[in-house]
Amino acid sequence: MWSTAREIAPGDTVIAWLTRDLIQPLVVTPGKDLNIRFGYYRHDDLVGVPYGSKVGSRNGKGFIHVLRPTPELWTMALPHRTQILYLADIAFITSHLDIKPGSRVVEAGTGSGSFSHSVARSVGKTGHLWSYEFHELRASKAKEEFTRHGLADIVTLTHRNVCKDGFTVESAADAVFLDLPMPWSAIPQAKKALRKDCLTRICCFSPCIEQVQRTVTALNDAGFTEITMYESLVRPHEVDQVPPMRSVDDACEILKKAEQKREDKRLRQIAATRQNLANKRKREGEADLAEEESHHDTASGKRTKTDEIDDIPQEPISLDRNIAGSSEVADSTKPTAKTTVSKAFPEVRGHTSYLTFACLLPASPEVTVDA
Amino acid sequence: MAEEASTQNKIRSGDTVLLRIPNGDTRSVKVEKDLIVSIGRLGSFSSNELIDHHYGLTFEIVGKNLVVLPPQNIQELEETDATNEHIVGDGSVKPVTPEEMAAMKEAGVHVSDIIKKQIDQHTNFELKTEYSKDKYKKKKEAKYAKVFTTIPPTLFNVCEYWYNKDQGRIRDLRIDALSQMLNLANIRPGGRYLVVDDASGLVVSGVLHRMGGQGRVLTICDVETPPAYPVMTQMNFPPEFKSIMASLNWATCQEDYTPIISTWDVEEDQIRSDKQRIRVNKRRAASDFLQSTREDLFAGEFEALVVASEYDPQSILKRLNKYLGGSCNIVIHSPYAQILSDLQVVMRASAEYLSPALSEVWLRRYQILPGRTHPMMNMSGAGGFILHATKVYDDPSAVPVEAHRRLQAKLATETQKSSDIVPSQQEEGDVAMTDAT
Ligand SMILES: C[S@@+](CC[C@H](N)C(=O)[O-])C[C@H]1O[C@@H](n2cnc3c(N)ncnc32)[C@H](O)[C@@H]1O
Repeated sequence: MWSTAREIAPGDTVIAWLTRDLIQPLVVTPGKDLNIRFGYYRHDDLVGVPYGSKVGSRNGKGFIHVLRPTPELWTMALPHRTQILYLADIAFITSHLDIKPGSRVVEAGTGSGSFSHSVARSVGKTGHLWSYEFHELRASKAKEEFTRHGLADIVTLTHRNVCKDGFTVESAADAVFLDLPMPWSAIPQAKKALRKDCLTRICCFSPCIEQVQRTVTALNDAGFTEITMYESLVRPHEVDQVPPMRSVDDACEILKKAEQKREDKRLRQIAATRQNLANKRKREGEADLAEEESHHDTASGKRTKTDEIDDIPQEPISLDRNIAGSSEVADSTKPTAKTTVSKAFPEVRGHTSYLTFACLLPASPEVTVDA
Repeated sequence: MAEEASTQNKIRSGDTVLLRIPNGDTRSVKVEKDLIVSIGRLGSFSSNELIDHHYGLTFEIVGKNLVVLPPQNIQELEETDATNEHIVGDGSVKPVTPEEMAAMKEAGVHVSDIIKKQIDQHTNFELKTEYSKDKYKKKKEAKYAKVFTTIPPTLFNVCEYWYNKDQGRIRDLRIDALSQMLNLANIRPGGRYLVVDDASGLVVSGVLHRMGGQGRVLTICDVETPPAYPVMTQMNFPPEFKSIMASLNWATCQEDYTPIISTWDVEEDQIRSDKQRIRVNKRRAASDFLQSTREDLFAGEFEALVVASEYDPQSILKRLNKYLGGSCNIVIHSPYAQILSDLQVVMRASAEYLSPALSEVWLRRYQILPGRTHPMMNMSGAGGFILHATKVYDDPSAVPVEAHRRLQAKLATETQKSSDIVPSQQEEGDVAMTDAT
């Protein structure tokens, strides 16, 4: 498949990892340049560098990591010509179909070759993958890729419509995988391609439940058994380090302090008002002894004032740490070490497809056993 | 190759075979020529009756013999007008008495006839909907049928068996998680892998299954002798599949530790008897094997490290990191997110690990009977968490693009102050490049 040497050689396909969301395949071609947002590189600079190295750009505008391709990286980096299968589904299908070294597998359609690369790796040199694609350009592009990735011996790509013309092999496959819009129409053909001398398996990959129902009926009619259906997903998690959570004891202390502060202020203000009034009365007594008629008015004026004191606008109770004194409470009782937390990403893939599996038992078990 | 593959699909003497019985349970039985296999209430039969049959067939026990049943497909149920409207309680069911049952069994009446008899005595049966009739028959079949199906020893089936039997012993490693681990670790025939498996050998089984007897696997364990890995029993690996594996323990995998076994060497002229010679030779072979296994580990350049362990993953990584090659996949499973989040924080602070990513696996099975398709009422909630990262070689002199932009901005402001001290961009880049190569 891809190079297993420690160092990168001219002609190798490498994976340039720029960021998690920017992963590019690259065929190392001496004389060529790579000019990207993360700097300027010459392919020659990569030759002789160990796989897995961080490589700085020539103009100091960043770096890349050069990785050894794997089918999983290829799935993340490949040029999309169609919808593709991703890790969770590929891995689950591989296990359920019991794809292993030496397995012979039939697949339609090839699409962008995401599933094909993974299967080719798993079946190895002693196994085989027959892949079918009816879209001419996709077929030829995939064929080019398989050849470039050293898979020409493992993968046979045929350009044809499998629903109309069936597969090129008969009684040869251990497993069939169908990623087609109408998998049920290829099931009789798939049965033909499967071996009859041992138990074999099929998987149909369909996003809609209606497709699944038609597929199940077709599988049942064709004599497949052990029909099961699954949905498999991954939930990526983001990991964060957060300050330790605060205790409600802190909140309680802060609230108590705020209340006390407000009360102190009110009392201060009452005292101040009383003082003012007393002072005023004193002044009035001294300066205006003659005008005894107006005394009543002054008394009502005094009452108004007292009412106002009770209506002192309340300071909002706040949990803000910046309230004087409160931050001290929090800091002195809490260790400064951060806590590691994880949660699912806010947006994750909620559905890919339904995976319908079935088995085909050897044609006539009694006869096979007697032989 | 076709020959080989087809014989591997048949039951051989010595295989440990998984059997599915009508109530849905799975039993594990040892099949050995001329031995009797007994499966509880279902009865017993001679192993020879199973040997050379393909895996996946369904058998009925008739007396002491087995009869192969034809494959069963899903029966399309015809809709009727029946509803459960007129069914009152269950009082009207006159069950077949135990005496009647015993008599029928004695007389060798077939299960289907026993069930028919029960249905005849079930006065409400005809009032039931087709769906509930079907359910009733299935329930009775599960109770009386002396039928079982042999389950092919695929990784999928063996993992499912263990998961249902005792998921704690395999550390919640459900098949979807295990499959993702094997793919992420890029397990292939011919690869070289390091495995730490405290999940009863499930990970090792998966790795060996995907290597087909080619390549090299070293496992590191916490016991003196190579661990038992009980899950491997049901995989029925041919010997050559297992021969690519060797085990060290946490002491013998330490470079500065001299394992005590290698100092037991006896001089040639001191050997007195044949018996002693055999013992000495055995010991010598064991010592040589240990030595070569250690050398294998110390040579490093492994392609993947796969871990499902009860030990702290940070301590495992600390010990084994130096044996991992560039671009090596590190794949660690845990039933707990917390343990892997802590590990992720440590790994992302190190320039040796590229993009450590934590994910949780999720799997749902559906019932897909015609007209009755829905997710299974019970789903397994715990498949665990996976952390994946790639081992990389750092180049401390390489400047991240953000740092470069900040530097440019700083230089630009400084340029305004004194324009003659700015180094040329090209020179800067060349320095980084020389260090990298
Ligand atoms: C969704 S894509 C497959 C993606 C692929 N599994 C992957 O992982 O990259 C489906 C492909 O099937 C092809 N296709 C559809 N109907 C077909 C048919 N009847 N015969 C052959 N190929 C067909 C389409 O052209 C398309 O490329």
